[in-house]
Amino acid sequence: MSANTLFNDSTVVLGIETSCDETAAAVVMGGNDVLSSVVATQIDLHARYGGVVPEIASRAHVEAMNVVIRQAISQSGVPIERIDAVAATVGPGLIGALLVGVAAAKSVALVLDKPFVGVNHLEAHLYAALLDDPYVEFPMLVVLVSGGNTLYVEMRGHGDFSVIGQTIDDAAGEAFDKVARFLDLGHPGGPAIDRIALTGNAEAIDFPRAMLHEGLDVSFSGLKTSVINYVRKNPTVSTADVAASFQYAVVDVLAAKARKAAKQIGAKSVALGGGVAANSLLRSTMTTVCAESGWRLVLPSMAMCTDNAAMIASAGWYRLVADGPSSLDMGAMPNLRLT
Amino acid sequence: MIILSIDTATDGVSVAIAEGTRVLASSEMRSEKQHAEVLTPMIDFVRKQAGVSFGDVGAVAVDIGPGLFTGMRVGIASAKAIAQVLDVPIIGVTSLDILATAVGVTGDVIASVIDARRGEVYWSLYRHIDGKLRQVTNPQATAVEECALQVIDRGQSTLFVGNGALRYRNEIELVVAGVLPSFAFADDMAASPSAVVLAQIAHERALRQEWQEADSLVPEYLRLPDAEINWATRSAS
Ligand SMILES: [Zn+2]
Repeated sequence: MSANTLFNDSTVVLGIETSCDETAAAVVMGGNDVLSSVVATQIDLHARYGGVVPEIASRAHVEAMNVVIRQAISQSGVPIERIDAVAATVGPGLIGALLVGVAAAKSVALVLDKPFVGVNHLEAHLYAALLDDPYVEFPMLVVLVSGGNTLYVEMRGHGDFSVIGQTIDDAAGEAFDKVARFLDLGHPGGPAIDRIALTGNAEAIDFPRAMLHEGLDVSFSGLKTSVINYVRKNPTVSTADVAASFQYAVVDVLAAKARKAAKQIGAKSVALGGGVAANSLLRSTMTTVCAESGWRLVLPSMAMCTDNAAMIASAGWYRLVADGPSSLDMGAMPNLRLT
Repeated sequence: MIILSIDTATDGVSVAIAEGTRVLASSEMRSEKQHAEVLTPMIDFVRKQAGVSFGDVGAVAVDIGPGLFTGMRVGIASAKAIAQVLDVPIIGVTSLDILATAVGVTGDVIASVIDARRGEVYWSLYRHIDGKLRQVTNPQATAVEECALQVIDRGQSTLFVGNGALRYRNEIELVVAGVLPSFAFADDMAASPSAVVLAQIAHERALRQEWQEADSLVPEYLRLPDAEINWATRSAS
């Protein structure tokens, strides 16, 4: 990491996140001191469509953006002219949604005459875990599981990481959403399944664990299909048992691959990130796995699992320190990957 | 008062800084893509050329549409953020108003017509009454033929302006030729709304303090998201 002395522990970053269905702004000092974090969720707007509708998301971002920024600034206690830099998610995500946040962030930076930095949303998820526990030891395995991604990331240091495993089809969160929709449990599916699974028997049905023994990649598409086939063949089965057994199968695969990946990279610590990291069974299973192997487990708070702007401001701070600001002609990059 | 004007509602990006009725600097780019990439550096450039600082800006004006959803939001989100940080009011003007103003004073009916894709146009009719430009119909999104038919209903000489008028020139002519006393099309130069014209409208509105807080400014889409249209159709059937 280069010593970019312009940015240090007292540097205050305003972060903005609009990549999907949360309009968020946060103020973070020195990369991990969260002074404020405001999230306006649009879940209700999209619920009846069974998923996020891009145009509806973009419209809601425009309407919420100013209020969310205003709240983040006022809750931080830092006057807006004392902000040192502005960070925004530039990708991956919905292009129209991303552009609202990028346009607003660049405008704030321009008017304040402060640097702007574009942030990779997935990289920000890696930093979300560190916001609660910044003094973690590397190498660290980050298991990033959300509606859009299932990634095993080897993190050797700040800004120094590589993807060592991922899903070859559905993301884990996507499987939760699809199964929840099939079982009529509503959207978003993760919390719904988590809740009803508490009342079911996780060993009632032995759903298949795909690719448990090959490499670090995972697959959830077959599992989703076998859940659907099972319920069609056994229409009287208890929904709670199906949800619990499905969840058990997903977590079993995620945890087995995490154990394998952590061993492979000689991890000192393991962190969870993304919306599925809020799943109670995944959290308890990973707690056991890490305790057995002596890895320090970093479990982000629920607020840091889901999309927020504190992680954007944090990742933005690390980017500023390492590489300096981005240009004001930066646009959105909807297909950005973690590299 | 110094006003920063921003337009990204249709096929381009345009920025102007004016003091009263005098434009201090302006810039324009015509392309349907890259509004976000172009806009922020363009504001920076125009401000420097105008020789003013952001602290001198007393209001921000923006084209609120109708137009291309993704492109127009870039300008609106930017204008709202700038107005918020500067703590100045914002003036939202429709793209149809800007086009109608651009053609200047005329005795004809002015039909502002913007291409809405999918065979539709966003449009509204205007007239100069006692030297003032008045909107005489509510803005709508319809097939271009509907616009032409309503123009015929008025039976007056009409000047068509906007990229929608140029794109559907043949369709409009088919309906109005021989029916209206006369009709004409404003040329390519006036086909897209410009921040220079927006600045003119904003100046007049600022004199009357016709402005609002940045938080409450909303775009004028004139069309629901597809998902909502489909939902309504499904629910109705
Ligand atoms: Zn995310």
